[in-house]
Amino acid sequence: MRKTLLLVLLSFTVLSSFASIKIGALLPLTGGVSAFGELVKKGIDLAREEKPKVLGQDVEIIYMDTRSEKTEAANGMARLIDQQKVIAVIGEVISGNSIAAGEIAEKKKVPMVSPSSTNPIVTQGKKFVSRVCFIDPIQGTALAEFAFKTLKVTKAVVFTDIEQDYSVGLSNFFMERFQKYGGQVLQVKYKSGDQEFSSQLSQALAFGAQAIVITGYYNEIALIAQQARALGYKGFFLAGDGADAPELIKIGGQAVEGLYFTSHFHPDAPVTPVTKPFVDAFMKKYGTRPSTLSALGYDAYMIIIEAIERAKTTKPELIATAIRSIKNFQGATGTITIDQQGNAIKDVVIIQVKNQNFAFAAKISASALK
Amino acid sequence: MVTAMRTMKEKTRRDLTLTVLFVIFVAILLQVANVKFDSYQKQVLSLMAIYGIMAVSLNLVNGITGVFSLGHAGFILLGAYTSALLTIPPEQKAMIFIIEPAHPFIANLHTDFFTATIVAGGISALGAFIIGFPVLRLSGDYLAIASLGFSEVLRILALNLQSITNGSLGLKGIPNHTNIWWSWGWLLVTVLFIVSLVKSSYGRALLAIRENPIAAEAMGINVFKHTLLSFVISAFFAGVSGSLYAHWLTTIDPRITTFGPVLTYYVLIMVVLGGLGSVSGSIIGAILFAFLMEWLRMFEQPFTLFGRQYPAIQGMRMLVLSVLFVVTMIVWKRGLFGRAEITWDGIRKLMKKFRRSGSR
Repeated sequence: MRKTLLLVLLSFTVLSSFASIKIGALLPLTGGVSAFGELVKKGIDLAREEKPKVLGQDVEIIYMDTRSEKTEAANGMARLIDQQKVIAVIGEVISGNSIAAGEIAEKKKVPMVSPSSTNPIVTQGKKFVSRVCFIDPIQGTALAEFAFKTLKVTKAVVFTDIEQDYSVGLSNFFMERFQKYGGQVLQVKYKSGDQEFSSQLSQALAFGAQAIVITGYYNEIALIAQQARALGYKGFFLAGDGADAPELIKIGGQAVEGLYFTSHFHPDAPVTPVTKPFVDAFMKKYGTRPSTLSALGYDAYMIIIEAIERAKTTKPELIATAIRSIKNFQGATGTITIDQQGNAIKDVVIIQVKNQNFAFAAKISASALK
Repeated sequence: MVTAMRTMKEKTRRDLTLTVLFVIFVAILLQVANVKFDSYQKQVLSLMAIYGIMAVSLNLVNGITGVFSLGHAGFILLGAYTSALLTIPPEQKAMIFIIEPAHPFIANLHTDFFTATIVAGGISALGAFIIGFPVLRLSGDYLAIASLGFSEVLRILALNLQSITNGSLGLKGIPNHTNIWWSWGWLLVTVLFIVSLVKSSYGRALLAIRENPIAAEAMGINVFKHTLLSFVISAFFAGVSGSLYAHWLTTIDPRITTFGPVLTYYVLIMVVLGGLGSVSGSIIGAILFAFLMEWLRMFEQPFTLFGRQYPAIQGMRMLVLSVLFVVTMIVWKRGLFGRAEITWDGIRKLMKKFRRSGSR
């Protein structure tokens, strides 16, 4: 009896007792958004395979599940730092969870790099929390830039989903830049879950819209596009990365053909020399093309390794400073510069629906978005 | 008769002394933990007490009064938002309300943590009174559904009142006031209040209502008034726990994973695990829940068994936890404690039994 007990206890002892550099990965691996966590994990695993060593030591990644919840995100972060003694953390995916975990990282002075939390509040007032994705306002500005400069649109109608902070923020920043250029904007509102948009659309048609900008998520975008085409609308459709889901085409069909949307990444977009090797390696390892989240996870890992190499130390505080001073880093999703607020400044990719597929259309460079 | 009363009095005095000694003992243990533990362990220790308050307050309604309510998360949310808006400094509020500026009344509010917690409890109690007045006339499943609906309504309100709650962006930068002393101190207050309530004539009435509402009514107990009372008190402490929770987490949002029905179910699990109707059971249930949730994370690390290395399996700890709970409920059908409480008499009897079997 005692022997088996001892065996069971022994079996739980983790092998990794020898010296290695520990990096935590705080991800929603189960629960509501576990699909997102899995995608990021694939990117991190691939990056770890490519760069398994830093400063001559092995890098060990310790995954910590947050079950897509805030309480667990806070506890998981504290556990990574206090018990596992990690020197940096990749995570979380969802903005709300990143805010909770970021508080702890800040208090403990351990750098945290979020792959995909785009809410501006995540890094606000923080010294140790950074991210490799651009924030929501950047997308709005990029859309305005693209609409006015490339598509030569001067009259746009903005559809805002008032239930999503993401959509409200995106709309505000689009209108700000678009009006600065002298464009005319009409804003109409709807709510997530709405099915009928004819009143908003007749307003848009009366306004003489050359472009309809829908800042919500794919479901409503597809419905609005269909109903607009049925009413005889012939102009452009523009959207944010809320459109980035295969369901957009499934629901929208021919109506979303030609729609443009902003995104962080596209496998065909050769934004840096790193993109193609990354896509090939990903295909070889997993048999599918990488999604945006995998690419962002890959970049988050690479940025941390780069910062450790630059800092030439494993002291968390110095690594945090090094992360904030990264400039023009060649990542899979673009050339990344981390600014003083910890936000990534990088190119925005514009994707177009072509022949019922997502195709790379254009790149808005970071310098145009200031 | 007189001697019997005297022994009764002596016994209460003895129990009181023992209780005070026990509280001091726990306080010393907590002080030791405060010095020796790292901040992760302290964080979990605080969470145990916060869960404890949630469980004990829900137990008052569901276990002691026998009214099945599923609206606990709503009251916790109400408390969390109220206290957070009271303690976040005005300059921080100006920073986080980025879509729509905060309502001028909200923007300038500022109090200390203790006042904020009391106000949070008060607002939750008020909410319970307003919703309880119509809802408590329902019974059984209807009440459960109505209270569940109420808590969802509160969550949707928090999602849409942009200038008050910052909508879906949530609140951030809540000062991290909750420490071991605040959380365990409030747990002590909660337990003292609810135990004395149960031992008072009100409590006896509540127990009578649980056993048979019709008979209780016939005995002259105003069933509606008493259930409303227990509902309001329960909501007060739920509000307090919400305040502690917000200042523990330092950020809150109205998403379904934060204050949704899942939170109510978690609290319900703690209560049922410990034994529906038992205050001590609720506390043990809450402590076990918080402890296991973190401790079982070791099942999600890579491990070696008989010399073979296995990769980490995510989600394993929830599986283990569920199995543990199922086994517990099979072995102890009414939860760990059933309706029984840990009492000094019980402990003495247990020790006597132990000593007798030891001497044999």
